[in-house]
Amino acid sequence: MLLYTLTRLAYLAMVLVVMSILVFLVTQAMPGDVASMIAGQFASKEVIDAITVKLGLDQPLIVQYGRWAAGILQGDLGRSLVLEQPVAPILMEALSRSLVLAVVALAVVTVIGIGAGVLAAVRRGRMADQMVSGVSYLGIAVPDFFWAIVLVLIFGSYLKWLPTGGYAPLADGFVPWASHLVLPVVTLVLMLIARIARLTRSSMIDVLQTNYVKYARAKGLPEKVVIVRHALRNALLPTITVLAIDFGLILGGVVVIETVFSFPGMGRLLLFAIQRHDLPLIQATILIISTAYCLANLAADLLYAFVNPKIRHGMGNA
Amino acid sequence: MTALVPLSAAASPDPTPTPASATAVSALLEVRNLTINYASPRGTLRAASDVSFAIRPGEVMGLVGESGSGKSTVAMAILDLLGEAGRIDGGEILFEGTDLRRLSAAHRRRLRGDRIAAVFQDPFTSLNPALTVGRQIAEPLVQHKGFTPRQAAPRVEELLAEVGIREPRRIAQSYPHQLSGGMQQRVLIATALGCDPKLLILDEPTTALDVTVEARIIELLAGLCESHHLSALFVSHNLGIVNRICNSVCVLYGSEVVETGRTRDVLARPVHPYTKGLVAALPRITTDRRHRLSSIPGTVSKLSGASESCVFAPRCPFAEETCRRLPQALRGDAAGNSVRCWKAEALAGTPWPEESTASRPQAAPPARTAPLVQVEALRKVFGERRSILPWLRRDGTVAVDDVSFTIQRGEVLGVVGESGSGKSTIGRSLLALIEPTAGTVLFDGADFVKQAKEGDRDLRRRAQLVFQNSAASLNPRKTVGAAMERPLVLAGRQGEAERREMIAALLTRVGLPAAYADRYPHELSGGERQRVNIARALATDPEFVVCDEAVSALDVSVQANILNLLADLRDELGLSYLFITHDIAVVSHIADRVLVVYGGTICEEGPIGRVLRPPYHPYTEALLSAVPRLSGAEDGPEPERILLEDSTAPPGGGGCAFRGRCPRKLGAICDERAPPVQTAADGHRIACHIPLAELAERASVFPELAALH
Ligand SMILES: Nc1ncnc2c1ncn2[C@@H]1O[C@H](COP(=O)(O)OP(=O)(O)OP(=O)(O)O)[C@@H](O)[C@H]1O
Ligand code: SF4
Ligand code: SF4
Ligand SMILES: [Mg+2]
Repeated sequence: MLLYTLTRLAYLAMVLVVMSILVFLVTQAMPGDVASMIAGQFASKEVIDAITVKLGLDQPLIVQYGRWAAGILQGDLGRSLVLEQPVAPILMEALSRSLVLAVVALAVVTVIGIGAGVLAAVRRGRMADQMVSGVSYLGIAVPDFFWAIVLVLIFGSYLKWLPTGGYAPLADGFVPWASHLVLPVVTLVLMLIARIARLTRSSMIDVLQTNYVKYARAKGLPEKVVIVRHALRNALLPTITVLAIDFGLILGGVVVIETVFSFPGMGRLLLFAIQRHDLPLIQATILIISTAYCLANLAADLLYAFVNPKIRHGMGNA
Repeated sequence: MTALVPLSAAASPDPTPTPASATAVSALLEVRNLTINYASPRGTLRAASDVSFAIRPGEVMGLVGESGSGKSTVAMAILDLLGEAGRIDGGEILFEGTDLRRLSAAHRRRLRGDRIAAVFQDPFTSLNPALTVGRQIAEPLVQHKGFTPRQAAPRVEELLAEVGIREPRRIAQSYPHQLSGGMQQRVLIATALGCDPKLLILDEPTTALDVTVEARIIELLAGLCESHHLSALFVSHNLGIVNRICNSVCVLYGSEVVETGRTRDVLARPVHPYTKGLVAALPRITTDRRHRLSSIPGTVSKLSGASESCVFAPRCPFAEETCRRLPQALRGDAAGNSVRCWKAEALAGTPWPEESTASRPQAAPPARTAPLVQVEALRKVFGERRSILPWLRRDGTVAVDDVSFTIQRGEVLGVVGESGSGKSTIGRSLLALIEPTAGTVLFDGADFVKQAKEGDRDLRRRAQLVFQNSAASLNPRKTVGAAMERPLVLAGRQGEAERREMIAALLTRVGLPAAYADRYPHELSGGERQRVNIARALATDPEFVVCDEAVSALDVSVQANILNLLADLRDELGLSYLFITHDIAVVSHIADRVLVVYGGTICEEGPIGRVLRPPYHPYTEALLSAVPRLSGAEDGPEPERILLEDSTAPPGGGGCAFRGRCPRKLGAICDERAPPVQTAADGHRIACHIPLAELAERASVFPELAALH
């Protein structure tokens, strides 16, 4: 298992290096010239050239990349051109808000989604199953922005129970903080839960037909024990992977939802950076998003290996 | 939890029987007129009709019959595990005098795993991959006996020791995938024994195991039933094993009990025509390639309700008009045996009709000319990985190690050995479906592997494969005819009309109606599908066919049909086969010569008649002695069985591949040096450090062979 983790970490490092090169190259290819943007619309050619030299933009790409990468390794993510302050604190703030969103939304999805999936599988073909299937279908068929707008209109504009958008830090008190989170979380849950419920249902149905579940019943175990200890444990394997990936997705920013609710997370930050051609901010944001995504994937694989003894012990003697 | 359990479930290991009726006192389990239906999309399917039998305390009853005859259905009904589709529509299941059907579902659940315990067919899939085996064994104890998991631990180790596991503590902490098949089955048996049950329901408990492992598990079960005074319902399709372990037997055909009685009587002197056919169709060690197996014509017809005639009438050679007019009832005799056939008394002495051999061309012994297939120093290593990173490097498993042999034209070379011994790898290497790591395969003098790589169509055409899983090898969306098109094109049949004609001819050749060309695989029975596979292999007009467990998944009567067909094709077309099987009786029936493989190496090779008689390689001797047989008391006492340790991975490095399990291991020499190949008479060769003369001193495993020349 340790060896496995180390190998995976080595791969992760390789992926990130490749990612950083790609990010760097892509942002270089973007339209717009950093120096003239900094200098402003009416700057003379001399001023622009001076800035170019100062920022090292006249150097070969490889040198520029080297300087950028070296900076990142020392924790210096660069300076935002538009906001004129270091990128790191801006990013951390957005990331922490996205993290809150991800944790809360996924906690709800995990509990309700898996519960509904198990219920549907156990009552396969009956009322409960049909209801879960129907609701899931609705969740998958209706796009997320639709839910977002409907929720804002009902609870924000019409009932005025909840703020229509924005974010309040926990320091302002629990209630304002929580009330700002409710609508984006609910929208995210609606968006993600259907897939989790359906996935859990189908893998649970498969597992319920296995011999070991039948054998657990042959031991005279009560149905509850059979379902939780013998079936669910194995049925959760695919669900865990999807949940971890979803977690990475939310961390990396859910642009539509963040925009509708003016939630200042990673998605909005990236959007802002792109609209303003803020190259250092774009580079850093994309890098952080990819790192979050890769880490979530790694966590998924490690968790999977941990829950699955076949992998856990297989790795030990590899 | 135990406080809530009513009397019978919480009963101590030694309950006083509740005398409910006269039969209940003598029978532990009595099934009366049980009728079970399955609801399926195509309507109701009758899986058990009017099934009755009784098991006395300490009695082991075999429940035999072909696939789909309802054996498992009856077993599951007793456990109340039929599932949602199955429904009991009549009858009683009396356990210790109480009708289980009258109890509440919760009450039945409390009997399960406690008084009535089960072991299922496939140990690997019966164990939860995510839990340690110790935890799984402890579950019934915690559930029914009020143990805490901690208290259960010593009892778990005790149980593991009782089923012959040597390091119970370590094994209790391992996960199922870390154990061999035999160990897994022992774990299941330990689980079943935990609460000291009265009745074991064993559904094909050894079918998934190797012959040598099976022999040990059967031995273990027989011992346990005796020492614990257990009763058991032993579901099996293997008459040899039933003969070994069961006191009585109940034969099912088409969801009905056709014959039941003491094992000795039923298997030695079957009365019902179906039982006669079943016993006659079994290949035996004493028959060889000159014999034709008896077979039961036709196939089982699916039933949807009570039938108007004898269920066996469409296939019965003794059927008369009366049989088709009246449903048959089970009638008992004084000795306690019963038969469902009105002609039983009249047919008592009549044997199942033998297949006529007159029309068949006499098989010429294979000519000793240039061999068709010549294998030299074949070696195959799987999963070897080279890498610059040392921790990613992997040695790989040696599946076949330095194997050489030849096959003559018209010869059938059998390959026997346990699972994982490299049988299939040898077969696939011969067809260039696997690239050997080293060694050469010459087909008719040409290098097969090289030619196949260069895309030589003609070699591909001349050598074909028929393998075990007849269902998986046919595309479910293609008709039989469409499936046979491709090989015909490969064989150069270009014309559409010509191909149609060929397909019809091939189907007829394997004994199927030509109209089957338009059928889809799911519309065929297992035996019919295997015939289609053979027809498809024949389409390219091959000279050589590799049969990889080609009859293993089939019922005895169907297997007899296919074996006869393969033998006919060999005699009529002069085909050569490499016949891979784990069944010694099958190989002795069809093969001219046989290779015994263990751990990727050949330990013995020779004409079948020689290999079955001493001198034996120690592995061959154990393998042969493990074969369950139908020999009755008349054939004299059964020879002592040689029981091997559970299989372990063959040790690598030099030395003998069998040294880890060899009961006759000499010592260091076996560990250090590869055994020499010693040649006895007639091309009979044995690779062992023990001198031939000493090997020849052992008694024959099959004394009955001595009577033959
Ligand atoms: N869940 C089910 N739904 C519908 N039909 C079923 C179901 N289970 C079994 N059957 C049918 O019931 C009949 C009896 O099946 P059963 O499994 O009892 O046979 P068996 O004698 O145990 O066969 P095998 O030797 O192949 O295990 C078969 O025709 C089978 O197709
Ligand atoms: S009743 Fe007739 S058809 Fe049925 S088994 Fe007896 S002889 Fe054969
Ligand atoms: S060489 Fe040694 S270990 Fe191998 S079979 Fe012979 S006696 Fe047994
Ligand atoms: Mg069965």
